[in-house]
Amino acid sequence: MISVSVLLCIITFTPLVTPYGIYKPMLFGVPYTMWMGVIITVLLVLFTYLGTKVHPGMGGEEDEA
Amino acid sequence: MIFWIWVFGAMYVALLVFVSVKSFKKDRSAEDFMLAGSNVGLILGVLTYAAALFSTFTFLGMPDFFRLHGIGAWIFLALSDGAMVFFIVWFGYHIRKKVKQFGFKGVAGLIAKSYGNKWAGYIIFLSAFLFLIPYVGIQIQGISIFMNAAFPGSLPSWGWATLIVVVMLVYSEVGGFKAIIYSDAIQGLLLMVVIWIIGASCLSYFGGIDKMFEAVRQVDEKLLSTPGPKGLLSTQFLLASLIAIVMIPVSQPQFTTRIIVMKSTKSVHYMAVSLGVFAMLVITPTIFIGFYGAVKYADVGREEFFANAFLYDQPGFVAALAVIGLIAAGLSTTNAQIFALGSELRGLLKGSEKSVMLKTKIGIFAFSIIALVFSLLVSDQIVLLARVSFAGTGIMGPMILLGVLSDRKVPPFVIFVSGVGLVVFLLSLAGILPSEIYGLRMDLFLFIVLCLSAILGYIFGKKSST
Repeated sequence: MISVSVLLCIITFTPLVTPYGIYKPMLFGVPYTMWMGVIITVLLVLFTYLGTKVHPGMGGEEDEA
Repeated sequence: MIFWIWVFGAMYVALLVFVSVKSFKKDRSAEDFMLAGSNVGLILGVLTYAAALFSTFTFLGMPDFFRLHGIGAWIFLALSDGAMVFFIVWFGYHIRKKVKQFGFKGVAGLIAKSYGNKWAGYIIFLSAFLFLIPYVGIQIQGISIFMNAAFPGSLPSWGWATLIVVVMLVYSEVGGFKAIIYSDAIQGLLLMVVIWIIGASCLSYFGGIDKMFEAVRQVDEKLLSTPGPKGLLSTQFLLASLIAIVMIPVSQPQFTTRIIVMKSTKSVHYMAVSLGVFAMLVITPTIFIGFYGAVKYADVGREEFFANAFLYDQPGFVAALAVIGLIAAGLSTTNAQIFALGSELRGLLKGSEKSVMLKTKIGIFAFSIIALVFSLLVSDQIVLLARVSFAGTGIMGPMILLGVLSDRKVPPFVIFVSGVGLVVFLLSLAGILPSEIYGLRMDLFLFIVLCLSAILGYIFGKKSST
């Protein structure tokens, strides 16, 4: 989960997501970097949710104090 | 509009008074006053974190950023916030473990204890002071600009700024951190409602999202890609911003405190997810407002854009809500930052609880006055100043992270290198040192160097007996 999220962040800063000065292909009239950015943001939040499901902190064992 | 400002303003003030009085306890402890008893639940936790994060910077700054620099602004803030919430899950767990070991009276105090070296605390406090005060100042200034537009000629700028600081000091003094959390909850909800009403109104001007982007393309197609018309949102700028924003929970004490006062790690985790959703929801309408400005007010200054897009082009009650929403957004962030500085100061003070609390309150008052003076002097784009604040405190990130994660006695050179990093960053901001080094932005370069220093500090650190 962590490595996929880090990978998502890394590809954001490559021409795959932020090509210099290019706004096509558009999706439903939305420029390329915009819709790719939205998808990556949604994925990061989704991975955050999935991360909470497997994280040891969810057991609550360190919260009794 | 004026009538509605009085109506909404009266409701808002009544709510502030209510939460302050409700939070007031005559015989409260320092823990109650500064940390709300460390028992904050999920909904309050999300709203207080969001209100502290999304402020004038989001309400005014982000529309202006979209207007001037285009769609890369989404990567700059929303995507970086997505990475930050992922990081909170991991960091929240570790810092809460550390707090169980050492107790908590501010990040500076915690890290000083963790390093066994008071200089670590002093440098963290210095960095928070240097980079939060200008940020607080520009928030206060943002509100006074807006109030001048709403009530032209009724009060000078310094009058509005002073009024804001007085309101903030009164309700935080009466209710403490608990009142701030409750008022943050009101402000977070208000911000979301107002920004969506104005965003929807701006979007309806175009008649749809596709038509909005088409209109923007006709004005300047560079707004539809990175790095934007002015070339600001380069890969390095966006990457350095992502790092600075991810470091916010580590290096901006008002956010670290909000993670620590949550009642359980489970609540922190759900708070992180909800915050990610909140961030997307609150930033989306700023795209519509920003591009409305790019099409209708491309060549005007920021004050004229704000006044037109938020006030004069809106129906009276919406404009009034915008005024109150902005005051709320600015107050919550300003208050969070000033109170956090007080909390950091408290962690470094010694003496009886009563004398430490007195000095802390005097400190909070002094920080407010300094921020007020700064608000009358500063002149910069809100977002860029906020970013400098994130980057400046982010420089302390590697040292704080090492203090939180390491179970070893960290060598003092890590503190020394972080201190030098802080000085170099300040000199670079002042133009005395270059803004780039070996082709890298100075903030990115420093972050890499400080990460390496932290790694070396860990490798050469001695295993602690505790």
